[in-house]
Amino acid sequence: MEVGKPGALAAATGALVPADDASVSTPIVIPNTGWSAADPTAYNGGRAATVAHLHELETIGKGDDARWGALDVIPAKADLLLDYLRANSLWPLLSGLACCAMEMMSAATSVNDMDRFNMFPFRASPRQADVLIVAGTLSTKMAGPLIRLWEQMPEPKWCVAMGDCTCSGGRYKRSYATVQGIDRVMPVDVYIPGCPPRPEGLIYGMLKLQQLVVERRGRWAERRVGPTVPDGL
Amino acid sequence: MTEARTRIPSLDDPEIIVDTPATIYDAIPPYPPTTEREAEFYSLKDGEMLINLGPQHPSTHGVLRVVMKIDGEKVVDLDPVLGYLHRGVEKICENGDWHHAISNCDPLEYIASMFSEAMPVMVAEKLLDLEVPRRAEYIRVLAWELNRISSHALFIGWLALDLGAVTPILYGFIERDEIVEMLAALTGQKLLFNYLRIGGVNGDLNHEFLSRLGTWMSHAAQRIEDQQTLINENEIFIRRTRGLGVIDREMALKMCLSGPPLRATGIPYDVRRAHPYSVYPELEFDIPTRTEGDSWARYWLHLEEIKQSLRIIDQVLHRMPDGPVMTKLPRLLRVPPGRAWVAFESPRGQYGAYGISDGTDQPFRLRIHDPSYFNLQTVGLMMPGHLIADTMAIMSSLDPIMGGIDK
Repeated sequence: MEVGKPGALAAATGALVPADDASVSTPIVIPNTGWSAADPTAYNGGRAATVAHLHELETIGKGDDARWGALDVIPAKADLLLDYLRANSLWPLLSGLACCAMEMMSAATSVNDMDRFNMFPFRASPRQADVLIVAGTLSTKMAGPLIRLWEQMPEPKWCVAMGDCTCSGGRYKRSYATVQGIDRVMPVDVYIPGCPPRPEGLIYGMLKLQQLVVERRGRWAERRVGPTVPDGL
Repeated sequence: MTEARTRIPSLDDPEIIVDTPATIYDAIPPYPPTTEREAEFYSLKDGEMLINLGPQHPSTHGVLRVVMKIDGEKVVDLDPVLGYLHRGVEKICENGDWHHAISNCDPLEYIASMFSEAMPVMVAEKLLDLEVPRRAEYIRVLAWELNRISSHALFIGWLALDLGAVTPILYGFIERDEIVEMLAALTGQKLLFNYLRIGGVNGDLNHEFLSRLGTWMSHAAQRIEDQQTLINENEIFIRRTRGLGVIDREMALKMCLSGPPLRATGIPYDVRRAHPYSVYPELEFDIPTRTEGDSWARYWLHLEEIKQSLRIIDQVLHRMPDGPVMTKLPRLLRVPPGRAWVAFESPRGQYGAYGISDGTDQPFRLRIHDPSYFNLQTVGLMMPGHLIADTMAIMSSLDPIMGGIDK
């Protein structure tokens, strides 16, 4: 075995060692295939999704400190990793309003275990929650407290409308005391129809929400709040 | 917003000047108080403070809000604020016909909706003076008792959950899911069944339901034993329920208590026996009672009632007659004018409905008497003197359902 030559030890033992200076002259740029934003101006008008991950390193480090050999590190954009982390530990808020809350709790307990799909057990405090599952009829009296809950949740946050009552008013659409769809008062990311939806339906909706989080379509600040029916109808 | 509000010192911190008393974002009653009771509740002695519980709280069983006046760790007084789930069901029922009222009443008692949907059905049947086929009556009793068991199983889990134990609720939900899936096979709908019809039921027993029922019946009794061994002799559970939330017999009658909270005070009042309806007179079952009147007695009664319900189901399955499940009725059902009161025993107590018909196909008025509402109002008597941590244990031992309370 030739001693002193980089790579010889690695060849003998199979261990990973940094490549020598001569073997790597330019940074390895990994093309971005992991995700692409639906809206290129998403997240405060950031760069378009086609920008490579190592763009910063190329400009800041001038190439000197970015010598990538056979390292056991995968360079990636921090936002991409954060999105995967967020999508796979969605902490819903334990706020049941009415009937759908029963199915929501059923989805969390042992028969249909939401925990399997990385939707964590329900949090009781809005300050610890990512997702607001509005389960049940929203009455006008409850609308104020519910918006307050939503505003207490830290960003980034998502909202799931569970059940017909929250999607459109459902069987209580004609009532004098209910809000006809929660999208009149707050942004909604996923609508789950049904009266009530089955627990499997809720889990499917939450899986869709995970997809939405990774694809970054859950940007609620730009979404129009209010009735979706055009004026004049 | 009739007159301009005067700015007053906050109840929390007198140095802060606020529009309404602080800690309560929407002061109820509006400041300044309008009645004597409000003035008494919202005037604080030295060392007392107001704390707001709900409407978003994991243990209030829905969207109940309770404003508590506390002195240290002790509850001095409390003021429940209702109406966060008011959906105007009674008014909606007047706008649809009698068949619509069934599905509109469904979500009132959303843990045992087979009972709340029976309300317009039984009122209309009484007004029409209708004889329901016997097979339909037996199927109704079967569905009711199954639903009662699922509701009671959840009650036991919730009571333990509010005391800090997580495991029993998982057992409760296993039981509940099994029964609700079984009823879904029968009715086609989960949770809000919409199964009872004026003059019968919607659809006969089917194979899927019966096979699920058989599987469940084979281990139902064992499950109840499991629940018992899980909680019954638990030192913490006993200490936090025994002697707590006691209400005596006279006060229970005065406050219009019904169901297990009433029977826990020693009064064997059960609508199924006191004012028999359906085919309950033909069935054998006991009405378990306790005399303590505390949370533990209520818990014990729920367990015993599950056993009695199993006994009823067993008899119903053995005596199920043949025949039609639906009476012949005109498609446009005009209920003769009149007034009718019906009452039946739901898992929470006496469910009642007072219906007025003016001869059209729509109910003129459907007044809903929900037991949860009357059971809940006793918390004001039970709570003072107890610790904050026990409020939830006492409240959940009354098993209130906000859908029925707020209607």
